[in-house]
Amino acid sequence: MLIVMGERTVRLTGLALAMIYASFIVWLYVRQPQTFAEVTGGLTASVGAYRIDQQAFDDGLALFRRDEFEAARAAFNRADSAGQDARTQFYIAYAYYRSGWGRLYQDNEHFKLGLERVDKAIALAPGHRLIVDDPELQMHTADQLRAELAEGMRVEASDFNPMRMFRKRK
Amino acid sequence: MKAVTEAVYLPALFLTVALLGGLRVDDRLTFVPPPLFALVLGIMLFGVLVRGHVLAPERLMRASRLPIENLNGFAVILSTFFAATQIFNLVTPEAGLPFLLFNVFLFVLLLNTLAASPDRVSVLRSMAVITGAAFILKFIVLGALSSPGEGALKRVLLALLEGVTLGTLTQPPLHPAAGYLAFATLVLFLVGLAMLPARGRSVALIKSGE
Repeated sequence: MLIVMGERTVRLTGLALAMIYASFIVWLYVRQPQTFAEVTGGLTASVGAYRIDQQAFDDGLALFRRDEFEAARAAFNRADSAGQDARTQFYIAYAYYRSGWGRLYQDNEHFKLGLERVDKAIALAPGHRLIVDDPELQMHTADQLRAELAEGMRVEASDFNPMRMFRKRK
Repeated sequence: MKAVTEAVYLPALFLTVALLGGLRVDDRLTFVPPPLFALVLGIMLFGVLVRGHVLAPERLMRASRLPIENLNGFAVILSTFFAATQIFNLVTPEAGLPFLLFNVFLFVLLLNTLAASPDRVSVLRSMAVITGAAFILKFIVLGALSSPGEGALKRVLLALLEGVTLGTLTQPPLHPAAGYLAFATLVLFLVGLAMLPARGRSVALIKSGE
């Protein structure tokens, strides 16, 4: 009887482990984490236990408000090392937007990176809807930021309008 | 077969092969899902394993077994198929003419093995030869041709392939760890195949003197 029970336990445990392992493999192939931090961060995020480094985020926000965008991005990346927090990814995208913005031209490389981050933020946000209530910002939704970045990367007739020199950075 | 082998070791082994088969190591990790043709080759390999008595599905799933035993058996069958698929994802080049040639080469080899109806030992040997040859071609020959340096092997291969446009053969350069990882994955796969529950030989009892 003990042997039968032991075998049943082994079989049940084995089945459960196989299912968990298979789910983990499917998750890896779907989410494509690129570093170990992203693997652990993604797993903790999937059970709602992921937390960003709040101190690093606050540092990033302070730098962002002083227009030190490269340093701000470094701090935001440190705060969300697994790339699992929609709000932090939004700020990183916003920092790329402000770095790349110019009166006469846009830096397409920065805009492209910004677009990647804002797409990630949208993918991470619940219901793909992200609103950031920050009075310092002029674009509060990820959709607005995405549209601005995408528009900046397109070459259109309006790009040659001299009045563009008087537009303001958002 | 012991319960622990069927419930734990075999699924763990084949799932690890399925995980590593699509893993590409570069400056970052990428998990590449199998191309559609790898699924076709995986099905064919599964057929070869069954016909060659390497895998006996009836020993893993049948009406007389308990439901939990059948579920364990199903996990083994499914993980074996995914591992077989991912092995072809691993040993097939990523793109271009080699991708096409390798797939044709593997398809014909598996078709030939299916038609021959070999026994268990022959199938296991055949699997080792097929996957080993593909490994050597991809990770050693094509790897040397695609590497940015000017190694001795590359010079020999360039001399042998004189007149061939290398643009059609070269692949993205491989990370130094890629070959070792692929080798370990192949060994795991072959060990797993050898551990699968095989179909027993039928024995005829003949009374002496008759």
